Amino acid sequence: MAEHVTCQEVVELVTDYLEHALPADEAALFEQHINFCDGCEWYLEQMRTTVAAVGRIEEEDVPPETREKLLAAFRDWKRA
Amino acid sequence: MTHLGAQRSKASADELELLTRLRAGDEQAFEALVARHYGTMMAVAQTYVKTRAVAEEVVQEAWLGLLQSLDRFEGRSSLKTWILAILVNKAKTRGVREARSVPFASLAQEQDEPAVEPDRFRGPQDGFPGHWRAYPGKWGTAPDVALEDRETLGVALRAIAALPPTQQTVIRMRDVEGYSSDEVCAALEVSAANQRVLLHRARSRVRAALEAHLDG
Amino acid sequence: MIAYKFLRRDGSSVFTGFRWPLPEGAPGAWVDAPVDPCRSGIHACRPAGLPYWLGRSLYEAELAGDIVEERTKLVASRARLLRPVSAWNDSLRDEYTRMCADRAHALAASPPLGQWDAVIEPSVPEGPALLGFVAARIAEERHGAEGYRDERARQTAWLVERLGLQDDTAS
Repeated sequence: MAEHVTCQEVVELVTDYLEHALPADEAALFEQHINFCDGCEWYLEQMRTTVAAVGRIEEEDVPPETREKLLAAFRDWKRA
Repeated sequence: MTHLGAQRSKASADELELLTRLRAGDEQAFEALVARHYGTMMAVAQTYVKTRAVAEEVVQEAWLGLLQSLDRFEGRSSLKTWILAILVNKAKTRGVREARSVPFASLAQEQDEPAVEPDRFRGPQDGFPGHWRAYPGKWGTAPDVALEDRETLGVALRAIAALPPTQQTVIRMRDVEGYSSDEVCAALEVSAANQRVLLHRARSRVRAALEAHLDG
Repeated sequence: MIAYKFLRRDGSSVFTGFRWPLPEGAPGAWVDAPVDPCRSGIHACRPAGLPYWLGRSLYEAELAGDIVEERTKLVASRARLLRPVSAWNDSLRDEYTRMCADRAHALAASPPLGQWDAVIEPSVPEGPALLGFVAARIAEERHGAEGYRDERARQTAWLVERLGLQDDTAS
């Protein structure tokens, strides 16, 4: 059983950690590392910020042709 | 109808309002709904069918299907869960005809994709092997870390659009749309572990894109 | 049972940001959290765990309810903070950091582990938790996993003595 994990390992474990999918002892090694390593603490923070930013994406451009077709379909449906 | 697992939540007040407006024939409500889900629907469709053009058709068919069964939606599952179910059904039907091109099960054969370039870490001969050579930036929750910034969201969106279809689908469903892990696994018929690998790779790439934008 | 808990300077939890009811002249209020591996539960440690969890503020805590013991920490469903361990202040933190740095240099000295020696002083500003790891890591380089654990045990002994804690390693 490993005594510690490296930063290189931590960046690969980060998603599983956030998903609560790490086994207990790996999660402990992960947290111990975050506790002493500023770089990885900031990396974890960057990942959380990334997820939050992605969560703020709301609407995207729909291609005009698709828009037209769907609007036409909607109008047909309204009439029916 | 595709069963999407136990974690459905009821249609939210916001969704129900949209639904009411839809039933009343409100075009703006329909356009808003389409725009909101377009990206994810296209990504999901493209995991079932080969070309973007066919995926477009699948998405259009899904919206048609939704309109046709609008009367039957009772709000017992969330609206977005229901939209997804319709889409997956249409995509599967089309996909079967086309022979699905990117099976999730082939993940095991895919190359390993490091979350961060290996040369950013100290080598095995260095003191402190595996440690950062230079620490990543401290973004924190400072006001200048632009969660609200349109430009930054644009960077994130472009990064997502550049992802391989499987990664794009998972990050869109989980992080953009907020589907649960169970819902994603059920809809895409992928294991929780595989879903996490895809999510990990997708998030890592998006983070890297944001880093390039924010830290230069 | 009695255990120890590090918090940030503002009294919030290091990993969750949870704001703990702090002891002011009397124990803080009890906090409940069902124990669910990796998801919830209150984390604390025995003295042997202190070097692994070093933070800004140290508290003596009382744990109750369901208690699960892991390698370096305890997870409890119920806990309260009894008193701050005020001996753990900036001055002692700096002393500990210097102690670990000196240990690290000594361990890296003969035969010289030059590539490690160069890492020690630049790590000092990052504080005690990092230096504790560096010293233990160099000990591991010298003497394997046992070396790592021995160095951590040395660190615990130093902390127990300087903080005036009850060492429960005998129990």
